[in-house]
Amino acid sequence: MAQPAKKAILVIGGGISGVSVAVEAAEAGYNVILVEKNPYLGGRVAQHYRYFPKLCPPYCGLEINFRRIKQNPNISFYTLSEVTEISGSAGDFNVKIRQFPRYVNSKCTCCSRCVDVCPETRVNEFNFGMDTTKAIYLPHEMAFPMKYAIDDRYCKGAECGKCVEVCKYDAIELDAKETSFTLNNIGSIVFATGWNLYDMKKVDNLGFGRVKNVITNMMMERLAAPNGPTDGKIERPSDGKEVKKVAFVQCAGSRDENHLNYCSAICCMSSLKESTYIREKNPDSQVSIFYIDLRTPGKYEDFLKKVEKDEKIKMIKGKVAKIEQASASDDVIVTFEDVINMRKMEERFDMVVLAAGMEAQTKMKSLPGKLQLEANGFIFPTQAEGIYSAGVAKKPGDVTSSVQDATASALRAIQTAFRK
Amino acid sequence: MNYTEGQDKDSKNQNMAGSVILSPDLKFIRDIKRLGGETVKKCYQCATCSGICPLSSENSPFPRKEMIMTQLGMKNELFRDSDIWYCHNCNDCSKLCPRGARPGDILGALRAKFIMENSVPRFLGKIVTNPSYTLFAFFIPAFLLFAILVSLGHLSIPDGKIVYSRLFPVESIDLFFSSFVAISLIMYIISLRRFWLRLRKEDNPQTERFGKALIQAVAEFLLHRKFSKCDVNSDRKNGHLMVFYGFVGLFITTSWVAFYYWFFHINTPISLGDPLKWVANTSALLLIIGTLILIANRLKDKNVNSRSSSFDWTFAIIVLLIGLTGLSTEIVRLINITDLAYPLYFIHLLFVFYIIVYFPYSKLAHFGYRLLAITFHKMAGTDVT
Repeated sequence: MAQPAKKAILVIGGGISGVSVAVEAAEAGYNVILVEKNPYLGGRVAQHYRYFPKLCPPYCGLEINFRRIKQNPNISFYTLSEVTEISGSAGDFNVKIRQFPRYVNSKCTCCSRCVDVCPETRVNEFNFGMDTTKAIYLPHEMAFPMKYAIDDRYCKGAECGKCVEVCKYDAIELDAKETSFTLNNIGSIVFATGWNLYDMKKVDNLGFGRVKNVITNMMMERLAAPNGPTDGKIERPSDGKEVKKVAFVQCAGSRDENHLNYCSAICCMSSLKESTYIREKNPDSQVSIFYIDLRTPGKYEDFLKKVEKDEKIKMIKGKVAKIEQASASDDVIVTFEDVINMRKMEERFDMVVLAAGMEAQTKMKSLPGKLQLEANGFIFPTQAEGIYSAGVAKKPGDVTSSVQDATASALRAIQTAFRK
Repeated sequence: MNYTEGQDKDSKNQNMAGSVILSPDLKFIRDIKRLGGETVKKCYQCATCSGICPLSSENSPFPRKEMIMTQLGMKNELFRDSDIWYCHNCNDCSKLCPRGARPGDILGALRAKFIMENSVPRFLGKIVTNPSYTLFAFFIPAFLLFAILVSLGHLSIPDGKIVYSRLFPVESIDLFFSSFVAISLIMYIISLRRFWLRLRKEDNPQTERFGKALIQAVAEFLLHRKFSKCDVNSDRKNGHLMVFYGFVGLFITTSWVAFYYWFFHINTPISLGDPLKWVANTSALLLIIGTLILIANRLKDKNVNSRSSSFDWTFAIIVLLIGLTGLSTEIVRLINITDLAYPLYFIHLLFVFYIIVYFPYSKLAHFGYRLLAITFHKMAGTDVT
């Protein structure tokens, strides 16, 4: 199928890092191909309510980048796709791509008639399972590309076919098939494969999945987001009660040799930020942040100072040891030692947010090519010539540092691919 | 900071400006590491251990504070700390420790170090707690018992039916052991009193009288109630309970034998049908099985949650051997292997000496310290029941 005549840079992963690599290289005048496994670009940033450094909604940054992609003929991208094989060497890689069917073509206008008739529902992964969508769905309201997709794990296919009947634009192709194709003449490759939230069920003493109203920091982003499962109202999942008393549990799995043996770098800032969501949206609320030490490097120190001024946000030194359900209630009991006052306490909260850490995507998956991973599963900075990494694929970090790293990686990719 | 070696003053002093000056006892830190606490410096004070410990109470959480005090070499403060002994070594803390600092092992090392230094006379504490002196520790009773044999002229294996009192007449053996046990008991009481006086009673308001608290503590101890709270190491309760009652039973047996001899002139060997023998054999079995459970449990757990120190291992093996030599001494007598019986009996006596005379200096000394620690917590109202 698609065979780029001209030499190109391949970017794996269409989150903020991958998109940044792609637009930087393309705007310097080089061809870029972007491969993304989700049906949309924007990755984890798209799931946030607000993000650092300026605390703007994710679309502030993403939309500019999407426009840069749309305007630039040097970029092509594949969604619902993954790289299955890499061969060749720097300057001339051959890359095999597997593309899963979207079942919806570019004639889709997002009129939503299909959604109205679709009888099947699916767990909404974009909202971490806190709500559902139909089997034909828009990944989220600002999705790019703005196209519906069908989740074939739930869709009954041609035997149902109700969506096809109502679609006036001939946009639905229920017989679409998975395809594979090879991209030749790839000069260099940048892995921008990003991260997953560490599975909190593995941290048994913190009760996630077992105790009601224990959620993750990313779930908190979705609860606060206006396009989230609660339309931006911060309510607890079990009974929809507006939360008044919330605990944040830092280092949930991070800096722990039994789980993630490193600091995930972002969770302190993320909890400080999310505590401001709660304080802004639920005015009578109080927040307790349980920490080992608060890590707010560089300018972020100012944000900590700002949050500390709020008397309703308490910082308690002492990692949470145990989380249990209060008896005959949906409240949550948290056990900890308050290190400063040397008291062991149990405290009751409406909801508990686990500041879960980042786990490298590359740790989980079998990888194409001979990629060198460091002990924690992140991509080792030096690889075979022509293969680079950007953002959290390399090390845990925030958006700012990931984007800076992406720009640097774009330059390296250009040098290898187009060296004269 | 002032760095000093092995000093005996408080590690925390105020200077003239009123600020606190810490004087870490570096030798103490090294000793704790050598006694099985080599992971202490890994601790980064997250406090998961104090939070998860089922015995850690609101006003007296541990073992986080013990971890930093050990890192800082605050020996004297640690030696005043009842929580080291209140700990039942269940290792829930070590299981969850995010840094592999093994607080359970550190507290074990602190206990060993405390026994070594607090016991009277101190040199015996050193000999018994240090595994490299174990052979020497056995040499002392071997020499003394051999001296008795020389003085009695019993230097060859007696002919005829195996009767152990032909080697050591009851009078000599009873006099020998009871005098040593009496001395050792006095030393133990002195050591326990030293510990009790160290505890910072002024820090806590007393809510209970000593006598009543002690009785409650003993009652709880008999049922091993605190062990039931352990999560990781639940098998340990049964093993520990069996070893405890094994020793209690054997103590009763020994007193019973003496009672028979001195009051009824019944000599050993006592017939297998006698209730005394039932108690004796049941206790021996309890001791052996209990020790095997504890050893198996330790092997299963090896390096996962705890790395037992050589001090612990040496002691567990000696406890097992006292049971095994005792039982085989009886079996060999019953099947009448004369050449084996008397030497085995001699060896068994060495183990008996080790266990009962060295009691205040060995791991078993924890019995009294732990009882006092529980009593202390009950008096202070910080006991977790």
